Amino acid sequence: MRKLGWFLLGLLGVALAQDALVGVKVAGGWVRFPARPDMTAAFLALENQSEKPFRLVGVKSEVAERVEVHETFQEMRDGKMVMGMRPVASLEVPPGGRLELRPGGYHLMLIGLKRPLQVGEKVKLVLVFQGGLRLPVDLPVEMR
Amino acid sequence: MRRWVFPAVLVLALLGLGYLLRPKGHAFYGTRLLNPKPVDFTLEGPSGPVRLSEMPGKAVLLFFGFTRCPDVCPTTLLALKRAYERLTPEERARVQVVFVSVDPERDTPEDADRYAKAFNEAFIGLSGNLEAVREAAQTFGVFYQKSQYRGPQDYLVDHTATTFVVQDGKLVLLYSPDKVEATDKVVADLRALL
Repeated sequence: MRKLGWFLLGLLGVALAQDALVGVKVAGGWVRFPARPDMTAAFLALENQSEKPFRLVGVKSEVAERVEVHETFQEMRDGKMVMGMRPVASLEVPPGGRLELRPGGYHLMLIGLKRPLQVGEKVKLVLVFQGGLRLPVDLPVEMR
Repeated sequence: MRRWVFPAVLVLALLGLGYLLRPKGHAFYGTRLLNPKPVDFTLEGPSGPVRLSEMPGKAVLLFFGFTRCPDVCPTTLLALKRAYERLTPEERARVQVVFVSVDPERDTPEDADRYAKAFNEAFIGLSGNLEAVREAAQTFGVFYQKSQYRGPQDYLVDHTATTFVVQDGKLVLLYSPDKVEATDKVVADLRALL
């Protein structure tokens, strides 16, 4: 029992050390269940625990041909309120700050899904930051 | 003792009057149209033409979007799913959620319907020829335009994301994309309409 305790403490230590090493972490997120089989969106929050900014410059996923960072916007056109999306080249997570990708705001577009996704399964994404840092994350597929 | 009687009766009478004069009926959360506008369209469903006015006795919740829309459209359709699934089976029988594609070049009626049914089996999706979709959108003041065009199969569509409620052939209620997410209030509105 005590051995297990040390082992868990060790794991925690490794996890903490990695967080400290990386400085940025994913604080929750989900992949939206795909209402059409070939594309969907993913949402997540990033927390920067370091004193330097992190810039998300790309995302890859084994389940999608490509992943783009998009922004949902709202504006008047022809006197009518219109919503749309546009690609965003990169996103900054400020030092000690938080960046949230959520419905109606920034989101990841998973384009060209290679297989059907089931609610409840985990999807692997790799977040690529400026400077080459690659942060893997598993996000659950959810109906929300 | 007796001198208390009159003031007490007066207070009770005023309370009673206040009760009788209280605002009657349901205060709608959605935007109510003071002059409900007659609306109709005929678009294509997977098994043939579907006419809006041929859903009598139903409150029709109408949303225009496109199936390659992973943020705005699912957010609203998930909100409509939550509201719809909160209703009793009897109430649901009198509500119809309809998704209309404003991307008829890519979305066949089958695509639109499959997309709508991914949210709830009772939802229906419609598409149609370019002219019919444009007319239907115009009827509801819906604007749509292609954007981020990279090719005939690779573009997005900017569009009005209002949810419209049609009852007895008339547009009676509107929800902005923000408002439609307040499930409790939308459910209360629907119950007041039914």
